[in-house]
Amino acid sequence: MAVADAGKLNIEEHPPLWGSRSVDCFEKLEQIGEGTYGQVYMAKDIKTGEIVALKKIRMDNEKEGFPITAIREIKILKKLHHENVVELKEIVTSPGRDTDDQGKPDNNKYKGGIYMVFEYMDHDLTGLADRPGLRFTIPQIKCYMRQLLTGLHYCHAHQILHRDIKGSNLLIDNEGQLKLADFGLARMYSQDHSGNLTNRVITLWYRPPELLLGATKYGPAIDMWSVGCIFAELLYAKPILPGKNENEQLSKIFELCGSPDENNWPGVTKMPWFNNFKPSRPLKRRVREFFGQYQVFDRHALELLDKMLVLDPSQRITAKDALDAEYFWTDPLPCDPKSLPTYEASHEFQTKKKRQEQRQREEAAKRQKLQHPHQQHSRLPPLQHGGQSHAAAPHWPAHPTNNAPPQVPAGPSHHYYGKPRGPPGPNRYPPSGNQSRGYNQSRGGYSSSGSYHQQGRGAPYAGGGPRGPSGGAYGVGPPNYTQGGQHGGSGRGQNPMGGSRNQQYGWQQ
Amino acid sequence: MAANFWESSQYKQLLDQEEVDVVQPLDKERGISVEDFKLIKFHMSNHIMKLAQHIKVRQRVVATAITYMRRVYTKKSMVEFEPRLVAIACLYLASKAEESIVQARNLVFYSKRLYPDDYKYELKDILGMEMRVLEALDYYLVVFHPYRSLSDFLQDAALNDVNMNQFTWGIVNDTYKMDLILVHPPYRIALACIYIASVQREKDITAWLQDLNEDMNLVKNIAMEILDFYENYRTITDEKVSSAFSKLALKP
Repeated sequence: MAVADAGKLNIEEHPPLWGSRSVDCFEKLEQIGEGTYGQVYMAKDIKTGEIVALKKIRMDNEKEGFPITAIREIKILKKLHHENVVELKEIVTSPGRDTDDQGKPDNNKYKGGIYMVFEYMDHDLTGLADRPGLRFTIPQIKCYMRQLLTGLHYCHAHQILHRDIKGSNLLIDNEGQLKLADFGLARMYSQDHSGNLTNRVITLWYRPPELLLGATKYGPAIDMWSVGCIFAELLYAKPILPGKNENEQLSKIFELCGSPDENNWPGVTKMPWFNNFKPSRPLKRRVREFFGQYQVFDRHALELLDKMLVLDPSQRITAKDALDAEYFWTDPLPCDPKSLPTYEASHEFQTKKKRQEQRQREEAAKRQKLQHPHQQHSRLPPLQHGGQSHAAAPHWPAHPTNNAPPQVPAGPSHHYYGKPRGPPGPNRYPPSGNQSRGYNQSRGGYSSSGSYHQQGRGAPYAGGGPRGPSGGAYGVGPPNYTQGGQHGGSGRGQNPMGGSRNQQYGWQQ
Repeated sequence: MAANFWESSQYKQLLDQEEVDVVQPLDKERGISVEDFKLIKFHMSNHIMKLAQHIKVRQRVVATAITYMRRVYTKKSMVEFEPRLVAIACLYLASKAEESIVQARNLVFYSKRLYPDDYKYELKDILGMEMRVLEALDYYLVVFHPYRSLSDFLQDAALNDVNMNQFTWGIVNDTYKMDLILVHPPYRIALACIYIASVQREKDITAWLQDLNEDMNLVKNIAMEILDFYENYRTITDEKVSSAFSKLALKP
C-alpha cells in the first residue's frame, strides 16, 4: 500500500527503491508552468531543502488509466542519465481523496495526483533569449550549442528521438548548464524499426521537411533539423522559419533551402504529400547567401548551419559530426558554462507577473507623461521607441569580424549584458489584444506536450531586425521581415501547431 | 528495446535466487510456502499468456507483463496484491509500455469470457491496480528480454533455420514460467535455451560456444534449471494450484 508506506518511508534518508513517496514531502513554492498536460510547480523538499520542479501528470482519461504519454516519458527519462538531459529524480503521488464504504483506503490511486520530480532549472533558452536587453555572446551561443548537441548525441546514441526540440524545451541553470527537457513526445527507435511513426511531432517552426511531407519512417535527423533552426535563431535573434501552418512552413523552408528534387533528395518525389506541397517553380538554395549577410554568421557558422538545414534527412549532419565542426574549435571558442553570467529566474509564470507589474507601471507612467511629458520621456530607454533606434541597445560583444580577441570567460564584457537594461518598453509586447494569448501558455520545458498549442511568446524584439545585427552597425533588418510595427502580428503570438496536435495521440502507435 | 542492458536498471536490479524466493510475511501468515508461491506465479504467468492470446498481443508484451508481475512479488504480498488482478494490470501496463496498447475494457471483456464464474473485476479495479503496480515497480518499465539476443545468436551460430528458431523461441517463452528473468541477464538465458535446443536436436555447437568468451558454467546452470522445470512441470496439477490459492483466501 503505497500511501500508507509513504508516511513510513518519508523518514528515510533517500527515496526508497520501491514504492514512491508522497507529494507531501514537498512544499509547493510557486507555479512555474501551465500546460494542457498539467501544472508545474517549483517546490522545496521539506527534509533536504532542495529546490525541485514538480510536474503534475494529469489523469483525465478515466478509461485508460495512466497516460501512455507519461509512460513513454518516464520509460525514457529513467534510462537517460547525462549532464545535458534533465534528471527525473523520482515520482511521487498524492493520496486518492476517498475511502470506500467500508472505510478502506481507495485503491483507485489514479484519482490522486502523480508528479514527476525534476531537478529545478532557472531558465529555458527561449525565456532567456527573450529577456529585455539580453544579448548572447558568440562564446555563449557556442557553449549552449555544444551542450545541446552533446545531450542530443547522447539521446540518439541511446536510440531515443526527442521529437520536440525547441528553445523552451532547453532548460538552463545558473551554472550555464543546458539540459534537454520534456520527453513527452520522445520515442525509442531502431534502425530496423518496421512500424510507422507519427509525423505530427515537433513544433511547427522546428519541424523538418520530411515530416511536413508525410514521412512516417524517420530517425535522429529530425532532431538535427530543429537544432539547425535553433542555432540560426540564436544568431539571427529571432525564429527563422515562423510558418503559420504546414503549407506556409514548407514554403518558408523551400524559399530558404531551395526546392527539393530527385537530385538533392533522392526519393522525395515519392513522399506521401510531395505532390500537394511541391513548389510551383524551382527555388534556389540560399542558406549561405541569406545568413551570410549578417556578420554574426561567420564562415564556420555558415558551414555548420548549411549542413544542418539540409532537406534530405540522410544527408543532414549528425549530432556527433556537428560536435566535430570547425565552428566549435575556432576562435572565439565556446566558453565554460560556469563563466556565464547568472540571471534572475525566467520561468513563464514568474516573468508574466513581472511583466504585468511592468505594464501597470508603464501605464501609470503614460498617464504621468500626459501631465509631464518631457520629464517622463527622457526616462525611457531608446530601445522602446518603435525599434528603429538601437543606439542604446548593447552591441554584439563578440563580433566575429572585429578581430577582437576571443571572449575571455567571465571577463568584464559579461557585465555588459548581465542584467536587463532598464524596463522593457511597451513596444516589446503585442498590443493588448494579443497579450493574453501570448503569455498565458506555458513554454517551459517542464510543461510537456500540451504546451505548444500556443507558442506563448509575443513578438519578442523591439525592432524588426535581428537583435544583434540590426543595431546601428548593420542598418538593415533581414529582407523577409518588415521593420517595426509587426508586434503581435507576425510575431510569436501565432499558433504554429494549428489544431493538429490533438490528433497525434489518436493514431500513434 | 534499444540501448544497453549493462547500463540498465534491470541489470542493477538483478536478484539472487534466494531473494526472489522470499515469501512476504503477510503471505507466510496464511501458510503460503515457497512452493505455493512459485505455483501461483506459474499459474498467473499461464493466465497472462492465455489472456494475451485472446486479445492478440505480441509475445514481447506477454514477456514484459510476466516480468512486471514477478517483480511486484519480490516486494509485495499476494494478500495485498491479488494475483488475478495484478496479472491483468501487468498485461495492461505492459501493452502500453511496449507500444501495443490494449483497451482496458477489452481486457475486462475477455477476462470475463475466459473465466465466467471466477472473474469479478471491473475497469476501475484494473486502473487502480495499474497505479499500484507502477509504484511497486518504482516506475521502472523497460525490460530486456532474451528474444533479441536469441535471434542474433542463432544467426551467428548459423542455426537460424525455421525449425531451430521456433524451437528455441518456444523454450524462451517457457522460461517466463520461472523467475529466470529476475535473476539472469537475458542474453545468458538465450544462450541456455540455444544450448538445450542444440542438445535436443543433436547439433554440435561446442566450438561456437567456446568462441563466445562466456562462462559456460553459468549458461549450463541456467539450462539445468530449465530442464529441472520441465521435469517438475508434469507434477503440477490443478489441485496443487487451487490449494495454494485457497490458502491465500484463508484468514490467518
